[in-house]
Amino acid sequence: MQELTNNALMLKVKSGDVDKLGLLYERHKKRLFGFFYNMNSNASLSEDLVQNVFVRMLKYKHTFTGEGSFSAWMFRTARNVNYDYYRKNKIAFNQSEVSTVEYKLEDGDDLEKGMNKKDEISVLNRAMQILPPEKREILVLSKFKEMKFSEIGAILGCSEGAAKVKAHRALKDLRTIFLQLETR
Amino acid sequence: MEQEKFEIWMMEYLSGELDESRQLEFKKYLQEHPGHQKEFEVLSNTWSEIDEMEIPEPSEEMDTSFFSMLNSELEKNERKGSSWIQNLLSIFGPIQKPQLAFGMLLLSIGLGLGYFLNSNPSEGTSGEIVVSNNETEEIRGQLVLTLLDQPSANKRLQGVSEATKLNDANERIIEALFTTLNNDANINVRLVALESLAKYVETPEVRMGLVKSIALQDSPLVQIALADLMVALQEKTSVESMKELLKKPDINNTVKQKLEESINHII
Repeated sequence: MQELTNNALMLKVKSGDVDKLGLLYERHKKRLFGFFYNMNSNASLSEDLVQNVFVRMLKYKHTFTGEGSFSAWMFRTARNVNYDYYRKNKIAFNQSEVSTVEYKLEDGDDLEKGMNKKDEISVLNRAMQILPPEKREILVLSKFKEMKFSEIGAILGCSEGAAKVKAHRALKDLRTIFLQLETR
Repeated sequence: MEQEKFEIWMMEYLSGELDESRQLEFKKYLQEHPGHQKEFEVLSNTWSEIDEMEIPEPSEEMDTSFFSMLNSELEKNERKGSSWIQNLLSIFGPIQKPQLAFGMLLLSIGLGLGYFLNSNPSEGTSGEIVVSNNETEEIRGQLVLTLLDQPSANKRLQGVSEATKLNDANERIIEALFTTLNNDANINVRLVALESLAKYVETPEVRMGLVKSIALQDSPLVQIALADLMVALQEKTSVESMKELLKKPDINNTVKQKLEESINHII
C-alpha cells in the first residue's frame, strides 16, 4: 500500500477524512507518550495528555497548512496541551527542589552501598524532574532521534543555533543538579 | 573559539548531525583544548545516560479511548452528512403542488445523471479511493482487535459490531472472533460474534471453525443459534458435532429437541 507522508495524512484529516487520524496516532503515540512521560513521570496522566493532543489536532485541523514539518506542529500542540494542563489544574509546573529530593534519597537503602549504574539513572531521573520545565523540554525533544534541531527551533520558536545552545546549557544544568544530588 | 560556538558544535556532535570529517575535526579540536575536552567528557556521559532512562509502554486503554474518540467523531461527521441531505430535501417541503415537486426532482436527477456521465474520473482518483478505503479498513481492524481484548463486555460488544462493518476481515480478525465465540464469558458477546462470523461462511475455514464450535458451547442460546445457522447452510459436516453435543449429560431439553430437528433437516 502506498505510504502517505505525515503531512499528506494531516491534510486529508483537514479536508474531512478524519479516519486518517488513526494512522497518525499509530505512528506517533509512543513518541508523544515518551515526551509527556519524561515531562511529568506519570504514565496515566501522560496517556490522557496524548489523547488531548489528538482531540486538539482535530479541533484545530484548519490551522495546519502543510508547510513545515508535521512533527513540529504536533509537538507544538503537545507543549500547549502540557502547559494548559498545569495551568488549568493550578499545579506548579516547576517540580520539587533539591532539598525535598534529598530527603527521598536519604531514605533509600541502596545509597549507602554506593552508586551503581542503576542508582545513577534513578538519580538522573530525579535530576530531570528538578530541572526547570523549559530546560527539561528541550532535552526531551532533542533526545528523540528523529527530531532535528531545526525542528526543535520551529517548535520552540527560536533559531536552530539558539536551540543547540539551549540544549547544551540544559544538559550542563542537569549535570550540576545530578552532582548535587549525588554528593548529598 | 567562543564558548557559544563550542556549545553548538558539541551539540551537533552529540546528536549525530556532523558528517565524518567534521567529527574528526571536532575530536582534534578537543585534543588541543583540554578545558573543552573535560567539559565534553562530563556532558557526553550525562547525554548518553539520558538514553537509559526507562519509559514504560503506554497501556491498551490509551488505544481504546483514542479509537472510541475517533469513532464518535466519525459518527458525528456521518450525521452531519445525512443532515445535509435532509436540508436539501426540506427545500421541496414547502412546495404544495406535488406535480411541481415531482418535476423538480426529475430535473435534478437528469442534471445529476448528465454530470455523472460526462465526468470521466481519472485512474489516479479511483486508485486513491481504494488506498483510502484500505486504510480505513486497516484502522477498523486495529480497533476490533483492541476492543475484543478489553475486560469490559460492552467494549467487546462494540468490537464485534465494528468487525461486522468490515468489508473483508483478515485472518487475525477471524481468529479473534472465533476466540470470542468459543471463550468469551458473556453470552451476548458470543452471540454477536457468531452473527459477525456468519458473514464469512463462504470461507471453508470459517465453516469448519463454526462446526467445531458447536461442541464447545455450553450456553443453550448459542447452541441453538449455531444449529439454526447450520440448517441454513445445510452443512452436513456439522451433524457429527451436533451428535457429540447430544451425548452430553447436562444438555438442555429444548436444545436437545432443536438439535435433533436440525440433524433431520440437514440429512
